[in-house]
Amino acid sequence: MLPARSIPRFFLLCALGFALSAPFFWMLGASFKPRAEVEQAHIVPREPTALNYPVVLDLLPDPVTGVYLGVRFGRWYFNSIFVAMGITLFQVLTSAMAAYAFSRIEWPGRDKVFLLYLGTMMIPGVVTMIPNFQLMVTFGFVNTYHGLIIPAAFSAFGTFLLRQFMLSIPTSLDEAATIDGAGHWRIFWDVIVPLARPGLIALCILTFLGAYQSFFWPLVMLQDDQLLTMPVGMLRLDNSYGRQTELIMAATVMNIIPLIVIFVMFQRFLVKGLQLGGVKG
Amino acid sequence: MKYIFLAAFLVFLGLFAIATLTLKPQDGDDVVLRWATDPNPARDRQSAGFARANPGFQVVPETGDPTKLLVQCATGVGPDVMDLSEAMMQSMVQAGLLMDLTEVAKQHGFDPSKTFPAIRDALTVDGRQYRFPANVNAQAVLYNKAIFDDHGVPYPREGWTWDDFVAAGRAIAERPSKSGREHIPLANSYPNDLFSDLLVAHGGRYFSEDGLTSRLDSPEAVAAFQHYHDLMFKHRVLPTPEQSVAMSSQGGWGSGGINWFASGDAAMIMIGRWFILQAENFPGLRGHLAAVRLPRMPGQPSRGFTRARGVAVNARTRHPEAAVKFLAHLNSPEYGRSIVEDGDSMPPNPAMAKDGAALANPGVPDAAFHQVFVDAIRDAVPPDSSLFVDASQVRRWTEEALGRIENRVVTPGQAAKELASEINRAIARNIERQPQLRARAQASKARLQTHPEP
Repeated sequence: MLPARSIPRFFLLCALGFALSAPFFWMLGASFKPRAEVEQAHIVPREPTALNYPVVLDLLPDPVTGVYLGVRFGRWYFNSIFVAMGITLFQVLTSAMAAYAFSRIEWPGRDKVFLLYLGTMMIPGVVTMIPNFQLMVTFGFVNTYHGLIIPAAFSAFGTFLLRQFMLSIPTSLDEAATIDGAGHWRIFWDVIVPLARPGLIALCILTFLGAYQSFFWPLVMLQDDQLLTMPVGMLRLDNSYGRQTELIMAATVMNIIPLIVIFVMFQRFLVKGLQLGGVKG
Repeated sequence: MKYIFLAAFLVFLGLFAIATLTLKPQDGDDVVLRWATDPNPARDRQSAGFARANPGFQVVPETGDPTKLLVQCATGVGPDVMDLSEAMMQSMVQAGLLMDLTEVAKQHGFDPSKTFPAIRDALTVDGRQYRFPANVNAQAVLYNKAIFDDHGVPYPREGWTWDDFVAAGRAIAERPSKSGREHIPLANSYPNDLFSDLLVAHGGRYFSEDGLTSRLDSPEAVAAFQHYHDLMFKHRVLPTPEQSVAMSSQGGWGSGGINWFASGDAAMIMIGRWFILQAENFPGLRGHLAAVRLPRMPGQPSRGFTRARGVAVNARTRHPEAAVKFLAHLNSPEYGRSIVEDGDSMPPNPAMAKDGAALANPGVPDAAFHQVFVDAIRDAVPPDSSLFVDASQVRRWTEEALGRIENRVVTPGQAAKELASEINRAIARNIERQPQLRARAQASKARLQTHPEP
């Protein structure tokens, strides 16, 4: 039984939860609607059909037109997961190394360089879009997987998050390791990284979610249909000549499954990691 | 922990190998052009037609997002050929991103004289050609005969006026239907297009003859804004933003307009022939779709603006000859036939669209339906733009002004005045900042002093 003073809060949270989940349920409902029904506002389909899913996967023809969509949904799915995984791996690695240098090694101008590094977070992405793209052109990375992974492999935010985390690890541990003859490489891998695991997992989750959903950079970088990631590929289902909302929703439901799985599995680490990282400045 | 990183790295390497090894290589030694265009199922058939007609050449359609185009073109890796609106062509020409086609177009038979008169000026900037249309379009009113029958309302007839339109719309909204369903009189798909056709109907223009002043505060333009407002709030034949949001499961203002009409919720829509491109997606419309020209003002003919999806060539393309070949193909009978069959607006070659029978296709075999668009393009007014202000900005500001009217933030008169002032300020600013525009402005003024605007 809820205490009386908690009842308003309970209803407020229920209302908030409903408001946040309504679009999700609408999406789920629309993904099971036939085309004739999809523009109608009711959420639960009157004539539910699961056909939209195999149609998006190009396993069945569109039931209305009798034509296969011809979209490479499976390939885009693979690309999205592969690219997001690559970005996560490299970003976590480079951020951890940079964070170690900014938190555990004393060197002249360290804090000033760190502030400068943090300052790059204040620059809006669109401002650096053309210079970044020009760099990719120079390196020959346009329309390649490296063009998606390498620019995202370095992150000021990730460095900041892990630095804050590493600052909370006692320096006496480094000193003890140094007395035992360990160098920075050994201390980093055998002392700091294991202790920073909650922070690393939090960064992994945040990076993966961001990279998996990334839209604009892949849109600009990619030309070949085979290389597209899911958010860009799904544009194929939306055009000014008639939107196939039910197919977009079926694709979106499939698209978000990995995100939901990751979030549910690692939710504990995500919250813990963010809380711990924010303790010491 | 380092073993976890190592394992993740090995998994990544494995996926990378799978990803790269399963990429399909480009076929043979063909010259492959990249074509930035809209996501449209007809584009694949059109590219196949180009490859058939030009062995050794291919064109591959890709997403033509405007920002992507600008970023890629600015860094020299843009697509070889690209669909551009009038609005975007102008700014890209000023940035030096498009190939001047004037001479090659004459040599290869796709100069402006080869297409519809109303669109010719929109292919050029300052007298030089930069585009050739992939299709041309003028709007008409499509209506669902079943909805008219349901409410016992007579079908619209050629020569109808805006008053007739309002009367039909009111009857759809007010008379109970036999089926018991309620219907929206007009699906408002693109507010800007509806306004521009109202502007033409009232005899208004966006700009003065020399392009140095906005005419959107003229009595004709104010009347067009007022008309837009009245259709929504006085006659109630156009859904208000609130009604649109309430009716559309997608929630976006205007975004659901096409789907409302296609799914039998709206009785009419003002749109181009391209609507039938996806008619097969809407079986409920089969046998009920009809077209009539835009309503006219009393004593005036029915007319609206011409529109075109023009194809331009990237100034830094690696395949200029193939790109020119592609533009020449757009004027070919084979390409024209594919446009007719798909219903992708009207073919750019007028010989392929001489009457309704020439445009009839399996999706909509009724020649009378297509004749409406032949007549509409014949009487359409050329697009109206100014060299001194970016047309895409004007379009955006006009949309914002319409939004303020729709939300009753300002009166139509105020919106017209504010919009014209905003455009005039931008023109003055551009002329002040850009010496080449200053010289053109002086030349235009001098010319008008010799030949005053009527």
